[in-house]
Amino acid sequence: MGIVKIFYKDSCPMCPMAKKLKESLIEKDVGVVDFNVETVEGLAEATFYHVKAVPTVLVEDEKENWLGEWRGNVPHIEEVLTLVNGV
Amino acid sequence: METTDLNLFVRTSEETLSDWDRTKIVDALVRETLIDRETANEISKEAERLIRTSNIKVVTAPLIREIVNAKLIEKGLEGARRMHTRLGMPIYDVDNLILHPNKENANVPHGPEATNLTLAERIKKEYALLTVFSQDVADAHMNGDIHLHDLGFIDRPYCSGQSVEYIKRFGLDLPHSLSMAKPARQPEVLLAHLIKFAAALQSNFAGAIGWDAVNIFFAPYIQGMSDNEVKQLAQMLIFEFSQQAVARGGQAIFSDINIYWEVPKHFVDTPAIGPGGTPTGKTYGEYEKEAQRFAWKLFEVYKEGDGAGRPFFFPKPIVHITERFFKTPGHMDFLNHISDVAADKGNTYFVFDRGETAKISECCRLSFKLDEHDLRDAQEPWRMRYCALQNVSLNLPRIAYMAKGDDTKLFKTITDRFVLAVKAHKEKRAFLERLLALGENGPLSLLTMTRDGMPYLRFNLASHLIGMVGLNEMVQIHTGEELHKSKKALKFGLKVIAHMNLLAEKMKRQEGLRLLLEQTPAESTSYRFARLDLRYFSPASGRVVKGNIVTGEVYYTNSTHLNVKEFMNPIERVTQEGIFHPLIEAGSISHIWLGEAHPTKEAIADFVIKTFKHTTNDQIAFSPEFTTCNSCHRTGRGLTDTCMYCGSTDVDGITRITGYFTKVSSWNKGKLGELKDRYRNAEFFVDNEIAVNQ
Ligand SMILES: [Zn+2]
Repeated sequence: MGIVKIFYKDSCPMCPMAKKLKESLIEKDVGVVDFNVETVEGLAEATFYHVKAVPTVLVEDEKENWLGEWRGNVPHIEEVLTLVNGV
Repeated sequence: METTDLNLFVRTSEETLSDWDRTKIVDALVRETLIDRETANEISKEAERLIRTSNIKVVTAPLIREIVNAKLIEKGLEGARRMHTRLGMPIYDVDNLILHPNKENANVPHGPEATNLTLAERIKKEYALLTVFSQDVADAHMNGDIHLHDLGFIDRPYCSGQSVEYIKRFGLDLPHSLSMAKPARQPEVLLAHLIKFAAALQSNFAGAIGWDAVNIFFAPYIQGMSDNEVKQLAQMLIFEFSQQAVARGGQAIFSDINIYWEVPKHFVDTPAIGPGGTPTGKTYGEYEKEAQRFAWKLFEVYKEGDGAGRPFFFPKPIVHITERFFKTPGHMDFLNHISDVAADKGNTYFVFDRGETAKISECCRLSFKLDEHDLRDAQEPWRMRYCALQNVSLNLPRIAYMAKGDDTKLFKTITDRFVLAVKAHKEKRAFLERLLALGENGPLSLLTMTRDGMPYLRFNLASHLIGMVGLNEMVQIHTGEELHKSKKALKFGLKVIAHMNLLAEKMKRQEGLRLLLEQTPAESTSYRFARLDLRYFSPASGRVVKGNIVTGEVYYTNSTHLNVKEFMNPIERVTQEGIFHPLIEAGSISHIWLGEAHPTKEAIADFVIKTFKHTTNDQIAFSPEFTTCNSCHRTGRGLTDTCMYCGSTDVDGITRITGYFTKVSSWNKGKLGELKDRYRNAEFFVDNEIAVNQ
C-alpha cells in the first residue's frame, strides 16, 4: 500500500479540491498525510520534496520510495488509487 | 588651592603635561553623562583625595578617568559609568598586535597599515557594543548567543552590489575628490574609473563589492577591438583588482564580478550606453558577441594565473547558469572553458538561476532575487545598486544544549534569538540613518551623492541578513544524529531552517525591514562559537565541536553544510546540501574540496549540468589546493611542506578558506582544524575520470 502526501496552502484556488481528494482517499482506507506549506512542518516537508507549487500530490510506497506525483494540480482519485495499489 | 599644592601633573590625551585641575573632572562628567554638577563635584573630590594619598608622581588622563569610573560604580551610577568610559587597548595587546599577524580575517596581510586597521576596528567595536546596540544585544554578542558581524566597521553598511553603468553614465565625480572625470571614452579609461570607484566604495562598506554583468556592460566599448586587445583588457581588469592592496589596511578589494554567457533577459532590450556616456542606439541584446568575447578572455587570464602560476584571489568570477544559458549558442564551449579554470585554478563560481528568477550575487554568498521593481530598474541599470546593512548570525548548537532535547524549548529559543537579531538590525539601521542624514558633509558622503536624482545608497531597499552557524551540530545534539546520517536528521534540520524562513517572512511584514536568511561565511564565527561553547557548555560541547580539542583547532560546521569530513559522493553532497538552499533566500553555496585531485573539464562541466538540472543547489565552487614556492616562484598541486620543484621549505599553502582563496598560514585555528578534516573527493575524480555517474 502506498502513502499519499498532499501539500496545500490556506489561500489557493485549487486547494479545496485537494482537501476533497484527501477525504475521498481516507474513505477508501488509503493513508494520507497533508502539509500546510505555511507551517514549519509543512514548509520543511515541501522543501524536502522540492515542492514549488500548491496543491501537490505525492505518492510513495511504505519505504518512502517515489511512486508518482502531480505538481500544481489535483489528479482524479482513480489515478491515485492505481499508484497506491501498485497495479 | 588644594590642586596646585598637590604639585601633580596630568599627561593629557593631547600629549602635553598640564597642571592638575579638578574642575576638568567635573566638566567631563557633566558634559558626558547625565549626572548633576553637585554629584560630579563630590566625585571629583573623592578622586582627588585618592590620587593625593597614593603618591603618584605623574597621573595620566586614562588613570584619572578609571578612578572616576570606580567612584561612579561605588555610588551605583552604572549608567553614568558606561557613558564616561574610555575605549582603548592595554599596552600588552597593542604590542602583540604590532608584532604579530591578525587572524580574524585572512584577507588582511600583516603590516603597519593592517595594524592601524585592527586598532581602529577594536575601538569601533567597543564603541558599537557600548553605544550603538542595547545592553541585551551587546551581551548576547559577547557571550556568543549571536554574532554581530564586522563590528569594527560599525559606521558602514555591510556589503553591496554595484553596476558599472553608473560610472559609464556619470563618470567619476565623487564628493570631496580633487578632480572630476567625465564618462570614459576608452575601455582602459573605463577600467581605471571602475578600479578607483571600487576602492572608494570599499572604504564605505565593510564587506564585498559585487559588480553585476561586467562583461555585458563593457561590451559596447569592446566593439572593434582585436582579440589581443580584449585579452589585454581582461588582464588589466584582473591584475588591477587583485593587486589593489593599498585601499584598506593592505587588504585586497574584496570584489566579485558577475559574468553571463547570454545577455540576461532583463537586459536584452535595455538601451546600451557606450563611450562618453551616451546611448549607442543599440540594446545590450545586440552586444552578445562582444560580451562573450570579453567573458572568454577573462577566463583565459584566470586559467593562466598570476606570475607564479597561482590562482588570482580577487576578483571572484561568478558565472550565472540559467535556462537561457543552455539555449545560447556556444554555451558548451564556454562551460568547458570555465570548468577548465575550475578544475585547474578553482576560481569559477557557478551560480544557478533556475526558472525565471534573476539574481545578483555579491559578498561571499549574498545574492538578491530581482523583483518587479528591480526589473523596471534594469531598463536603467545604473539604478541597480543594492546593499545589506548588517549580518547577524545565530549560534545554533548553543540553542540545542539549552533545549536539552525539548522541541518546544528549541524552537522557542530560536525565535528569541531571531527577535534579538532583528533588534540588532534595527539598532544598526538607526545608527546608519543618523550618519547618512549628515549628507555630503557626513562620514558617508559618497553614499549620499545624488547624481541620478536619488541617493547613491538606496536605503529603503537595503537588506538585513540573518545567518546561522552549526545546523549540523544543533541536529546532532538534539536528535543524536548528524545531518548526513539519516533522512530523519536531515528533515529535522529542514524544520529548523523552515522555522527561521517563516520567522523572517513574518518579521519582514511586522517590522517593514527586508530581512533575509543567508549562509554566513563565518570565517571566524564558527571558531568563536565553538570556543565559547567549550567554555560554557562543557562537557556536552566537547562531544560535538568538530576539529581537535587538544590543539584548540575547533569549529562548528558552517551554516547548513554537512560535516566536511564525511566521505560522500560529491553529487550526493551537492544534492543534500542543496535541499536547504531554497529556504535561504540571500544565498548559499556548496563547496567541493578537490585537494590534489585534478578532474577533467568535461567532468566538471557534466557535474555542473547535473547540479543545475537535478538539484535545488544555488551555487557551487571547486577548490583545489596549491603550494607556492617563495624561492623558485613555481606553484604545484596539493599542500606540501616543501617545494615539489626545488625542495625549498620556504613555501606557502593556498586554498579556499570560505568564499575566497588565501594563504593557509594566515588562517585562524578553527579554519585550520576544518582544513585538516575536509574530505577531498579524490576517489571521485580519479584518473581524470568522473566517478559520480551512476
Ligand atoms: Zn621551489
